[in-house]
Formats: sequence, structure tokens, C-alpha cells
Amino acid sequence: MHQQSANKRLRLALYVATLSIFFCVAFMVSIMMGTLQLSPSAVFESIVNPQSDPVARSIVLGYRIPRVLFASLTGFVLGISGGVIQTLTRNPLADPYITGMSSGAALGAAVAFVVPFLPYFAVPAMAFLGGVSMLLLSIFLAKKAGAGSIGFILAGIAVGTFASAILMVVLAISSEKAHGILYWLFGSFSTSTWGDFQIAFAVSMPALIFALYRARDLNILLLGEEHAAQLGIDSRRLWILLLLSSSLAVSVCVSFCGIIGFIGLVAPHMVRLVIGSDNRFVLPLAGFTGSLLIVIADNIVRNPLNPIAEMPVGSVTSMIGVPFFVYLLIKKGKSFGM
Amino acid sequence: MACNLVVDGIKVELGSCKILDNVEISVGSGEMLAIIGPNGSGKTTLLRCISRAISPASGEIIVCGRPAREYSNREYSKTVSAMLPQWPSGFSMKSYEIVLMGCRNQSSGVWWEGDQELEVTRAALGVLNAMDLYERDFDTLSSGEQRKVLIAKSLAQRTGIILLDEPVAYLDMKHKLEVMTVLRALADMGKTVLVTLHEIDLASKYCENVVVLSQGRVVAAGKPREVITSELLSSVYGVDALVKWDEEIDYPVIVPKTRRILKGAVSCLM
Repeated sequence: MHQQSANKRLRLALYVATLSIFFCVAFMVSIMMGTLQLSPSAVFESIVNPQSDPVARSIVLGYRIPRVLFASLTGFVLGISGGVIQTLTRNPLADPYITGMSSGAALGAAVAFVVPFLPYFAVPAMAFLGGVSMLLLSIFLAKKAGAGSIGFILAGIAVGTFASAILMVVLAISSEKAHGILYWLFGSFSTSTWGDFQIAFAVSMPALIFALYRARDLNILLLGEEHAAQLGIDSRRLWILLLLSSSLAVSVCVSFCGIIGFIGLVAPHMVRLVIGSDNRFVLPLAGFTGSLLIVIADNIVRNPLNPIAEMPVGSVTSMIGVPFFVYLLIKKGKSFGM
Repeated sequence: MACNLVVDGIKVELGSCKILDNVEISVGSGEMLAIIGPNGSGKTTLLRCISRAISPASGEIIVCGRPAREYSNREYSKTVSAMLPQWPSGFSMKSYEIVLMGCRNQSSGVWWEGDQELEVTRAALGVLNAMDLYERDFDTLSSGEQRKVLIAKSLAQRTGIILLDEPVAYLDMKHKLEVMTVLRALADMGKTVLVTLHEIDLASKYCENVVVLSQGRVVAAGKPREVITSELLSSVYGVDALVKWDEEIDYPVIVPKTRRILKGAVSCLM
């Protein structure tokens, strides 16, 4: 009896420890690599010693650390929110963008690109505004339709498709600025600053902690809102709170770095394929898996040996993640229950 | 734990269709009541009303002397458990994980289940002779096995009132008897048990009272030996049957007379 729960905790600790070691290595390597290659001691020196080489110091502190931090945070947020939203909709195909939020963010960003004389922070601000308004609109429509999680998914698709349609129009009329918009859509961490990281961290941390804290009740929501209520959970309130908080977290990250696909859908599934659907395992491990994938992908993007400059980080995450995901799917897909 | 349940004239309408019409039921502590009736007579809807999954258009459900709608979710989950039809979720879960969810209503741990909860989980599966399902994936179980796991989840809630929607559907003869015996034992120990059943003989054998629903109305209620008659089966189910209580084995014998098959109607399916 005692044994079983102790084993479970030990297993979770072990998985988290393993993934965080991988993550720390990837993080360190990311800071060392780039156009200027630095040794671990040079990195350490530039962090702790104000009198060290000013060039290395400004690259490490002003550029690489905020970039890698922001990338890891985005991975964490996408992984955890993906797991949360798949659970809330009880749909393995759902991802954090299911609410039409990504299309809204893209539309907002595109408008900010096109309108002249806007300050530099207009793009993330408009993206955030666009994303959140589409999110709220789809929740509102789903409530009106009242058809449960399927109604919610369909409302999100409708809202997202509509926003995408307008985005196409904006792209069509923005001939010379289309490249900038497209580049933003691919997602990139090249412009991430400490300020971006601080804002995204402040917004997403409470959401992540809340989702992790309620992971056990999220499991029960897998039975459906009605059944969860019968087990004593304030399921309607919990559902909407979790949806709003995790969507907001994704929204704020995406507003700074653009639409990074795939992670939110696949990171939780990778974890599920290995250890099952218990959200107490899935959420934290999906967070680590997400950041690991993004940090590695961003590393490849920044690598000076990379022949394609400005490769979109989103496609790199897919290119390294998909083969691994397919391997897991073929090997363990039978236990997937789909 | 002892708790009685009174359903006081509830009505449920879906569009213009009356699903339940002025239904009155009363079940006391230590009693096991069966609701029988044809498909679509409103049995499941009645249980869903009592479990608060749907709220009736009028009427009141009174649990332990208090209207059900006044309870918080948490309070209610400690008083009434319900085994109702369930959608698959698309994510695989182990059987014990599902049973363990039943313990959530009493648990104080937000994140980890306590040892006591695991003990209750084992006891719930154990009493139904289903410990062999413990580590199995719920999705890979047969319908009958899934049914047992869902019953165990309800039992793990350890409530005074237990509602079960067709607890013995999909189960074989032995398991049917097993489940009914467990429910009877729980009632004998002071729980209030309300089940819907299609098995009229089991209902008559194990429950002290039956309520017969037809088209959303209670058409008969009382002791099975008085209520279950061939007239009732003919008027409610439209089936002519021989009903006899075998005193020797103390068990009802219900022998339906075969219905004439409309050859013309079937021939187009050949």
C-alpha cells in the first residue's frame, strides 16, 4: 500500500531529475554556442565577474541568457498548457491554439506591422490583444452554443479560421512588409530581451503553478465536467479558470516570439506514451520536454554552421521532434487509447 | 452515514417532450430500491436528476432532509455517489486510477492520494472480485469489466446514498449475482441504494421495493411480489408473460411468451 505511492513519487522525482539534467546541459550549451564560441569557464566568468571581457559579457548577459531563458519558458508554457487543454477538451488532438488564439495573435501582429509609425512594442501588444480577444470570443460562442467540449473546439476553429482569413487579406495588401509578418509567424527568439522574459514569466508562472497544483483534479476532469462535479470538484469554475490561465500564459509568450507550433500538441503526448495519462506526471514532464525541444531547436537555428540563416525555430522543433514522436507512436501507440 | 432520499414530484422536459412527469420516490436508509421500466421510460434521467447532473423543471429532491440544490459539490459528493453512463475520454487510464478518483471526495491531499485512499480503492475492487483489473488499462477491458470498475469507483466514494444506472448490464450470470449481493449487503449495513434494472427477476429477488416507470410516470410501486404481475408486464412492456414466485427456491420466475414476429417487416432485412 505504502509502497505504491512511494514508488510513484520516486518515479516522478527520477523523471524530473533526468529531464532537468538534460535541460541544464542544453541550456549551458546554448549559452556557449553561437557566432562567438565560449568555453564554460568564459561563460561563468562573464556572469560573475564584472571586469571580464565586455564583449563576451554583453553577448552572454544581454543576448544569449535572456534568449535561452525565454525559449525555455515558452517551451514550458506550451508543454504544460498543451497538456491542460487536451485534458479540458478531453481531446488528444487539441493544442493551446485550439481557441483560435494563435490566429488572433498573428492577425494582431500583422496589423501592427502594416500600420506605420507604431512603436517597437506594438507588435507584441497587438498580438496579445488579438490572441486574447479571439480566446474570449470563442469561449463566449461556445457558451452560447452550449454543446460541451466539442462545441468549444468548433467555436475555436470558427473563430481561428475567421481571423486567418483576415490575416490573408492583410498579407495580400502588405506587399513589402509581408516578409516581416511571415518571419514573425514562423516564430523566433532572436529579439528576446530581459524585459520580454520578465513580463512573460510574471504572467505565466501563476498559471503554471495553478495548473500543476490542480493536476489531480485535472485527471478527474478527464471523466467529464458532470462526473467531476459528482466527485466533489467545483468543475465548472475549475474548467474555465484553467482554460483562461493556461491560454493567457501561452498568449503572452507567443506575442513576443511568434507562433511556435507542434510543442503544445506533442510534448504532452510524448510523456503520455512513456508514462500514461496521469497529469501529475504529464504536466511537469511535458514542460521539461517542451523546453528541451525548443532550446535544442533554437540552438540549431543560431548555429553559425547552419547553412540557412534565419531558419524558423518552429520548423526545427518539428523536424527534430516529429521523428522522435513517430518512433514513440509506433513503439507504444497501442497503449494510446485513441 | 444513514441518509434517506425523497424525490418530490419532479418534472423534466426536453423541448416539448416530457421525460419525467411528477415522479415521487422515497428510499430510506437500509433500503434497496429498484427502478424498472422499458427503454426510454426515464430511469436514467431520474438518476441524473438525483445526482444533480440535470436540474428538474419543477419539484424537489430532498437528501437527508435538505434540498439537494443547497449542497455544495463537495458536500453532495460525500452524500450521494452515482454510477452513470460515461463517455470515453480518449486518454488511457488504469482501472485503479479511475476507482481512486472516487476517493477524491473525502481526500484531503490535493496532489497525492493518501494511503487510506489506496486502501479504499483496493477494498472497492476487492469486494467486487475485480482485483485482477487493478493495473489494467480501462480502455482494454470488456464492457462487463468496465462496468465493475465504475461500480467500484462509486463504492469508493463511501456515501450514504448510492445510485447505480444498470449496474449489472453487460455482466454474466455469476457477476450479476455477485454485484447484486454486494449491493444488498451494503443496504443491509445501512446504506440507501437506488438502482435501475432491466432484470426484473433480480430486482424482485434483491430489492425490498420496486418502482415501475413508464413514459416518465410512476405506474406502480411497492413490494416486488405485489407489483410484478403478468398484468403489469403486459401493460408496461407489452409482453405477455407468466409470472410465478417459486417458494421452494424463493425466486421469481418470469417466462415471456414468445412474441409473434412480423414476417413482412423482417423480410425486407433479408
